[in-house]
Amino acid sequence: MQWIAGQTLGSNNTTVQFTSIPQNFTHLQLRIFGKSQTNGAMSLFFNTVSSGTSYSYHYLQGDGATPTSAGFASQSYMSNLIGNTNATYWGVHIIDILDYANANKNKVVRDLNGWDGNGSGYVQLYSGQYMSLSAITQIDAYNGYTWTAGTRIDLYGITTSQLTGA
Amino acid sequence: MTPIYTQTVGAGGAASITFNNIPQFYTDLKVVVSSRTTTSGAADALGMYINGVQTNRSNTSLYGTGSSAGSSRGTYRDVGTSDGNGSTSNTFSNIEIYIPNYTGSNYKQILSDSVRENNATAADLSILANLWSSTAAITSLSFDCASSGLNFVQYSTFSLYGLIRQGA
Repeated sequence: MQWIAGQTLGSNNTTVQFTSIPQNFTHLQLRIFGKSQTNGAMSLFFNTVSSGTSYSYHYLQGDGATPTSAGFASQSYMSNLIGNTNATYWGVHIIDILDYANANKNKVVRDLNGWDGNGSGYVQLYSGQYMSLSAITQIDAYNGYTWTAGTRIDLYGITTSQLTGA
Repeated sequence: MTPIYTQTVGAGGAASITFNNIPQFYTDLKVVVSSRTTTSGAADALGMYINGVQTNRSNTSLYGTGSSAGSSRGTYRDVGTSDGNGSTSNTFSNIEIYIPNYTGSNYKQILSDSVRENNATAADLSILANLWSSTAAITSLSFDCASSGLNFVQYSTFSLYGLIRQGA
């Protein structure tokens, strides 16, 4: 796994962007350590597409009392990624995007995320898809509730083997 | 994390994918799967054989369907869920399987998290803890569709990685 790029916010900001993503890896991984100015979830979209019906997403989450699951079809972007939703406690996302440059596949995201606040918090397994065969060249991690300064987001590239082991 | 093997399903499809002769000098293994099957339904369970067998297996899962959540136990070889022909076109599952201490003499704990997307309310998300009650080292892994008679479709990919501790 190779580090591609990263940002640590020096001031509050709503958007962290990764542009001109290299196309020589097989998979991507985003790692986020962050929190929001006010309690609220982040959104994710690719290649500047944040309108129309290009996305769907689902989640399985626990709030310390009750597990729930929900699904959303034909969305303008992926939202409700909750691992950063608290204004006091930092949260974590590990987001895997498989085959991000594969022209035969829609781009599917798996995010394991959460935060704990000593009596509050969430843990979530999240899935989303960008219904496009286009390669991902840009990622926007958007937070309408504003990323707090100090939030760190890193992008990694993952390769695969030429050997099959068959 | 070092790539060990990768297999991509060709135009004819594949009933199973096997990684043989897994090197024994890593500490842990990780498998990443992007899969779709020929089931007419939206989904099918992804099965994993260890050293060619599916016996001595048990699992505990936490799952979500897009409308409900639950937890269960089983004795199957399931490690996740693949998309099927009844799901959104060109959509493949996103699954990660982690196997620590795969050469050790203890029973093998396997952790997987699996998502299967679909442009509908219904989809499948799961976290599974799997136990292989065997003290044997893992030398091969095979993947198939849990339902008989199904194939993985073209472009499904399976990637095996090795992780090694510093100084090991």
